[in-house]
Amino acid sequence: MKHLRALNNKARRIEEIVDAAAAAPADGEDQDVVALQQGGNNQPKRPHVPMGCSLAFSPGWEVDATGGTAGLCQPVERDIYDCYVTCFWPAQVPDHVNNSPDWASQCATATKDWRKLDLVFP
Amino acid sequence: MRPLTLGLAALAASAAVSSAQASILFMGAYPNSLIVFDESKGKVVQRIPLATGLPTSLRASADKKTIYVTTITNSGIEVIDVATRKVTNKFSLNSGNQRYRFNGGAPDPTGKLFYTVLTEITKGVDRFEVSKPKYAVIDLAQQKVVKTFDVAKEDEEGARGYRSTMMVSDDGKYIYQFRDKVVVLDATTFKVIERIDLAKPESPGLEGVSFGSPLDGIAEPGRYVSLFNGADPHVHNRVFGVARFNLSNREFTYTPIGPSPSQMAGLQVAPDGKQAYTVVTNGQTGNKRCEIWRFSMSAYTLQQKAEFPCKSRFTFGMSGNGQKLYMYGASFEIDVYDARSLKFERTWDLQNDITGAGMVITN
Repeated sequence: MKHLRALNNKARRIEEIVDAAAAAPADGEDQDVVALQQGGNNQPKRPHVPMGCSLAFSPGWEVDATGGTAGLCQPVERDIYDCYVTCFWPAQVPDHVNNSPDWASQCATATKDWRKLDLVFP
Repeated sequence: MRPLTLGLAALAASAAVSSAQASILFMGAYPNSLIVFDESKGKVVQRIPLATGLPTSLRASADKKTIYVTTITNSGIEVIDVATRKVTNKFSLNSGNQRYRFNGGAPDPTGKLFYTVLTEITKGVDRFEVSKPKYAVIDLAQQKVVKTFDVAKEDEEGARGYRSTMMVSDDGKYIYQFRDKVVVLDATTFKVIERIDLAKPESPGLEGVSFGSPLDGIAEPGRYVSLFNGADPHVHNRVFGVARFNLSNREFTYTPIGPSPSQMAGLQVAPDGKQAYTVVTNGQTGNKRCEIWRFSMSAYTLQQKAEFPCKSRFTFGMSGNGQKLYMYGASFEIDVYDARSLKFERTWDLQNDITGAGMVITN
């Protein structure tokens, strides 16, 4: 998935530099021997997921780290609380530590009782 | 009639044994409690409210008579007496313009101090100042941080021990941090006494050995038994094995078993010490495959594997008697598997989401 396309010469040069840097082996690895099972540096590239309404997708509720949805918690409510506590998705979930400690105080089981989650107005 | 009487007596004895072997599980629950789960009844029997908020870690004392809970809402610690299931001490470390972030830690053998790694946040007139993670000594009677020590420059990289397993030697003199290496600290000065390079001295030919998940327990008093990943220095071929770390004299043995899979859970050792279990994950997201692996702890061999349908996130645990395996976390359920057949048995509904604090099992 590639969302940005170079339109002018400068952008194309940047693209070439970035691609060359990505293809080059890291320092100290060019002469190294790596067991076959490790795969070395020839790992498939991960998809580029654009920044949108959230600050981080790794994985988010929209897509997982591979750009799909298979890696997400199912149902997504299973993952709400750990995001809430650790502020991992501050854009989508109120944060427990600083601003909304009582957001989930009436909701013991998010999957079943998500309607009891409090409303938060920024 | 006699055989029937004997049969009934045997049945009664069997039930008594089964009941005696059943354990009590303590788990952190949203939004601010511990739930007490009776294995024999298969249900939650009590809820212990936590005044300082949401539990993020549980730590049992060596004798399993006390549970230390750290909470995140108010940066608190609560001490639970296992016998009475009551909170005997609770406090928040936050005060005035000072806040702390920490997760887990270890009590000293006397139960008077609690060691952890924390970040100090000070609210200034125009900004917050956030410290680097520091070693901290918390006096449970004074209910405050009494000492902090900087982490040595050399140990600042990586997790800095923030969520790593921390243990205290039986005599209380040494603190062990199990992370990408083993850091042995003087419990009084927090000076590094020894950094044990697990790669070479005890296991020639191995480099970059690191511990597995910190969620596995201590199967033997004074020892830490866990899975390790190691790599040879030549082709960096990663292998996993079982390690036994002697906390009293810092001796370390490592027995390689086989090629390292993508991810492994911590090692759960059965009470008899003969069998141990872990969960292995290969692949990612939609291609993820999970297996339960059973090891012989005497022969250090893999005995059996069984694939099971795993969730995106889960935690692996074992019943107190070692006969059942638990998959739990990121939900309100515990999936129970039989440790002998590695087959799914049932699901327990806790009626409450549980936190990532893990599980403490007491008899």
